[in-house]
Amino acid sequence: MNAVEVQVENISKRYTHPVKGEVYAARDVSLRVKPGEFLTLLGPSGCGKTTTLRMIAGFETPDTGSIRIGDADVTRLSANRRNIGFVFQNYALFPHLSVFENVAYGLQVRGMPDAGIRREVGEVLELVGLSGFDRQFPAQMSGGEQQRVALARSIVIKPRVLLFDEPLSNLDAKLRIQMRMEIHQLQRRLSITTIYVTHDQEEAMAVSDRICVMNQGRLVQDGTAEDLYHRPADSFVAQFIGRVNMLDARVTAVHDGKLEVEVLGTRLRLRNPSFRPAPGDPVRLVLRPESLDLERSRDQERSRDQERSRDQERSRDQERSRGSEGPEGRVVSRTFLGEKIEYVVHCGGENLQVVSIDRGGDTHPAEGDRVRLRFYEDTIAVLEGRKR
Amino acid sequence: MSHARAAGAGRVLKDPALTLSVLVLWVFIGLFILLPMAVLLVGVFSTDGRLTGENILQILSDRNQIAAFRNSLWLAFLVGVFGTLLGFLFAFTACRAGVPRRLTGLMDALVLLPLVSPPFTTAIGMIFSFGPRGLLTYHLLGMKGATVYGLWSTLFSEVLTFFPIAYLALKPMLNAIDSNIERMALSLGAGRFRVFRTVTLPLCAPGLANSFLLLFAASLADFATPLILAGNAFPVLPTEAYLQITGMFDLKGGAVLSFVLLVPSMLVFFLQRFWVSRRFYVTVTGKGAGQTPFDSVSPAVGRLLGSFCAFCALVIFYLYALILFGSLVRALGANHTFTISHFRIIFTEGRKAIRDTLIIAAFSMPLGGLYGVMVGYLTARKKFPGRLSMEIASMINYALPGTIVGIAYLMAFNQPPIELAGTAAIIIALYVFRYGATGIRTTIAMLQQVDKSIEEASESLGASSGRTFRRITMPLITPAFFSGLGVVFIRSMTAISATIFLVSINWTLITVRILENITELSLGPAAAFSVFIVVVVFVVMAAVDAGMRRFKSPGGAQVASVLGG
Amino acid sequence: MKFRMKAVLMTAALLAAAVLSPLAAAETVNVYSIWPENWARPMFEEFEKATGIKVNFVRFSSGEALARVIAEKKNPRIDVLFGGPVETHAAGIAEDVFEPYKPPVFNRLEDRFKHKDGYWVAIADDPLCFMTNNQFLKDNKLSPPASWDDLLNPAYKNMLQMADARTSGTAITRIFSVLEVYGRNEDKAFAYLKKLRPNVQLFTKSGGGGTLPTGLGQAAGGIFFIVDALDTKAKGYDVSVSFPKEGIGAAAEAIALIKGAKNPALGKKLIDWASSAEMQKHFATYKINFVPANPDVTLEPSLAAVLKGAKIIPIDADYAGANRKKMVDRWIAEILNP
Repeated sequence: MNAVEVQVENISKRYTHPVKGEVYAARDVSLRVKPGEFLTLLGPSGCGKTTTLRMIAGFETPDTGSIRIGDADVTRLSANRRNIGFVFQNYALFPHLSVFENVAYGLQVRGMPDAGIRREVGEVLELVGLSGFDRQFPAQMSGGEQQRVALARSIVIKPRVLLFDEPLSNLDAKLRIQMRMEIHQLQRRLSITTIYVTHDQEEAMAVSDRICVMNQGRLVQDGTAEDLYHRPADSFVAQFIGRVNMLDARVTAVHDGKLEVEVLGTRLRLRNPSFRPAPGDPVRLVLRPESLDLERSRDQERSRDQERSRDQERSRDQERSRGSEGPEGRVVSRTFLGEKIEYVVHCGGENLQVVSIDRGGDTHPAEGDRVRLRFYEDTIAVLEGRKR
Repeated sequence: MSHARAAGAGRVLKDPALTLSVLVLWVFIGLFILLPMAVLLVGVFSTDGRLTGENILQILSDRNQIAAFRNSLWLAFLVGVFGTLLGFLFAFTACRAGVPRRLTGLMDALVLLPLVSPPFTTAIGMIFSFGPRGLLTYHLLGMKGATVYGLWSTLFSEVLTFFPIAYLALKPMLNAIDSNIERMALSLGAGRFRVFRTVTLPLCAPGLANSFLLLFAASLADFATPLILAGNAFPVLPTEAYLQITGMFDLKGGAVLSFVLLVPSMLVFFLQRFWVSRRFYVTVTGKGAGQTPFDSVSPAVGRLLGSFCAFCALVIFYLYALILFGSLVRALGANHTFTISHFRIIFTEGRKAIRDTLIIAAFSMPLGGLYGVMVGYLTARKKFPGRLSMEIASMINYALPGTIVGIAYLMAFNQPPIELAGTAAIIIALYVFRYGATGIRTTIAMLQQVDKSIEEASESLGASSGRTFRRITMPLITPAFFSGLGVVFIRSMTAISATIFLVSINWTLITVRILENITELSLGPAAAFSVFIVVVVFVVMAAVDAGMRRFKSPGGAQVASVLGG
Repeated sequence: MKFRMKAVLMTAALLAAAVLSPLAAAETVNVYSIWPENWARPMFEEFEKATGIKVNFVRFSSGEALARVIAEKKNPRIDVLFGGPVETHAAGIAEDVFEPYKPPVFNRLEDRFKHKDGYWVAIADDPLCFMTNNQFLKDNKLSPPASWDDLLNPAYKNMLQMADARTSGTAITRIFSVLEVYGRNEDKAFAYLKKLRPNVQLFTKSGGGGTLPTGLGQAAGGIFFIVDALDTKAKGYDVSVSFPKEGIGAAAEAIALIKGAKNPALGKKLIDWASSAEMQKHFATYKINFVPANPDVTLEPSLAAVLKGAKIIPIDADYAGANRKKMVDRWIAEILNP
């Protein structure tokens, strides 16, 4: 089966809110999904991702714009003629039909003979790990099992596009992680062009080839997880993906293709962003928690652990040499999480989140300690500053 | 907006099954709902071909008719108030006063009795019990000269007949209130009465308003009870309209009188449909079912409430026992020797009426059920131009008092081009488009329990809307269809106010025979017919209930009451 | 079931019902009977026995029956209007719903038992009477009323039941009786009726509506046709029948052929039979206390005994027919709800 491309061009959907008046559920959304690609629409609730998905499915008709699946313009085509697979958030299994009947439904609609249906259903149930569940009814099954039936039902018809509408929201955390892996692997195997909607950025990053971040009806950024994380297009994306410290800074100089900024009393040399600010301009810095590191202030250090292995100290120094020394601050909170330690450091009027990898040794600052921050400049992104 | 409309119209054209159904429905609705109403309005507002309001003015200046109008409103108001109160009392006792489950089941069954019985049953019982030589007033209490005719007996009889409507509306509402809210209030230190006053009652307010409106409408339309009990000093409009036509052979006059009734009825209908029922803030989450109900009152008060309800139930039971007794004795009040001659009479002389009624009911049931489901589904789930109009139009015959609809049908179908008067078809059409409409609401309510995504899933898998309806939606809402069947059956066995104008040489109905028997004072056969109807209705309802249970698929939506709304 | 199928089914069902409806057997005559079922039915059964023609009938009170006949004028559903006080038929003539027909016995009937042009003939005569509850009389130390003024006795306050003039022929006959008693002086007659009003508990829809309450003691008494009164007595209720010395009216019960009837020949046969001794001899058999209109039938002895000495005033049908509406309107305005 050949995977198809999905092309969405400038689709918009308006509706009239009883209080707010005319509201855009989706506004000028354009995207292109390559054949076999796994694309995720990501954003907070109300951002328009579900509306967009439903327009691609055919459950809603866009007011303007066009949608193409493969060669065909499907903009005005009704949902039942688009040959799509749709997996709903609440699974939408037919409660009065058994698992077998649920999965067989689409095949029956397509007029497949019984023998063929039995074979196909059997195969797909095995694929999702539900062999033997044929006679069960949805009400008797767990959430995870129901989700698999919904999945099986959608893929058995060999759709050109697979659409997922927050399929894992109703599952508990552990199951969510397990299921998303399964979906990811299944999609890889079947190579069906897939569009996935979720508000969970971690989930998006785990399964997608590419992510489209949406906000208030508009598509804000389209890229891989890394693009979004390290090179967010604006504050919204920066703050939506992962955790972040957003700091205001001022450009002091531009030379050698590098941007020199002053922030929290420290000078940093960062990558020059595409919008090319001039000296004196305000900018906003995107500092991920792992872009910062900390060490106990010299004076504090001396008062503790005087006996430390020379090796540890040397490796530490090597690490630290990658970053620039920054301002001092005080540890407000410290959370030990196994493979990492999360700190909140109060510095220059801001509470900064810092993440430190635990490499052993007992040299980590405690709550209340005075610490010195380090900045890892390569990982810091620069955005346009806030207008005064 | 034009985008959406164009899209809607486009959708209709692309979906032939949808288009066809909508068109067919409009044809039927136009023919059997809009046309008769139009004919009625023309009759009311024209004389000798001219458009005029003089008919109305004439009525409005007639002292007697003004009194009738005032009386109708006043009676309806009182029935609304007392009936809601009584219904609330029963519902409250059943849900919140710690009554054991067995007893609530019994209450349910007993309360159902007035709803499924033929007209006049309570009225006859009352004539025997109260009045100058009444069983209770004279023989029991030794009162002399008590009168049974007038406002209070009519009120009493109507309250007993209609309060089950309030009960059926309020009970699920009380049950659905999350009792954690009340427990919360209790934990904050509020006494039980305060909790009731400040938490329970306000949450019930929309339900109470709803019940009031329903009862108001029911009383406004009631033709049978006042005919027997109101006497001459307390005329009411439906009865006056009937007398105008049948006594004074003044069809136009009757039409005008029933038109006057139309205004308050439609007002009440719109209030109930578009204002009150939108304000329900108790949502049925389904979680309420598993919890133990909250005891809103202390055990002592609970027992008091229970006794009062038991007393009311006893009164109802007594009135029905009286009917049963009357069917089995030679002459109630004079000769109490046991006899089955009355039953023999109804099965020989009354055979035609029984046959006719059952045939008509048999045809009306499936058609009425289908009508309710089709309109309910289309208006709830599909978008097409004129959807709201269809929803409103389909309910018109149901919203109006039977007298109006009956007169309208008589006027509209009495002559070519559509001459149905004197046939069974006209009665069937009346039942289908009047009582089938209850199925619309039930269907819509059930569809609300069936998530839209299930139908979208079917669509996404390639099924057309017809197939989706057939294979997915319909099986999930069959309870609504069966409920519609049930309601149409009950009503077709017990209706009189509209159908009294439509019986003919060829087709007659048991309820009309009962009225004739009462008029001729053959109370034995009247009682026997009544007993027959009650038994048949109970048997059929049990069958429909069993059918509903069998067809209910695992995971299908639930229907709380077969009687709908 | 597809939508299409549903729609087709619905239409088919309605059509089927419409078609099913007029299932008339071979020889059937359609009749509205104003006589109650338990009297009409035996008569019709006898008719079928005698002629083989089935009678398809529905019972309505006089007002309802006339209303229907008039409403169905353009397309009559029945052939014959059977029974009912003659003034009903008189009113119908004005509406042009009857076809004149003179059965064989026509010339031998008394003048008050026929319409001169043959629009109706009488099949029975029915005097009015007073009927009172014996227990009530005993309790109040009264004798059965023997005068119209006896009914004005305050003991009867709110205890009498009688027919409503809007729907019942009994009431019409009653009003015209009072008129005759007062020499057709309308004002005097209505003055009496006004005086009587406080004693009336209920105006009943049908003529005999008050008989059962009287029998039960719910009411003390009323003014009824003799057929209804004696029937009540026969059922076992403890009542007395009496007549006012000033005289009381009788209304003839008539039969008429409907204009435009679909089975006129059968209708005529019914009229022939009903106006002859063939039907009226059965009054005695079935204990129906009508006075036969046909001169060949002798009055049943027990009925004759009851009527002995009673002053019966025949109500002039033409006078009644001409003034019916006027009197009814005045009654509604002045008496019904003062």
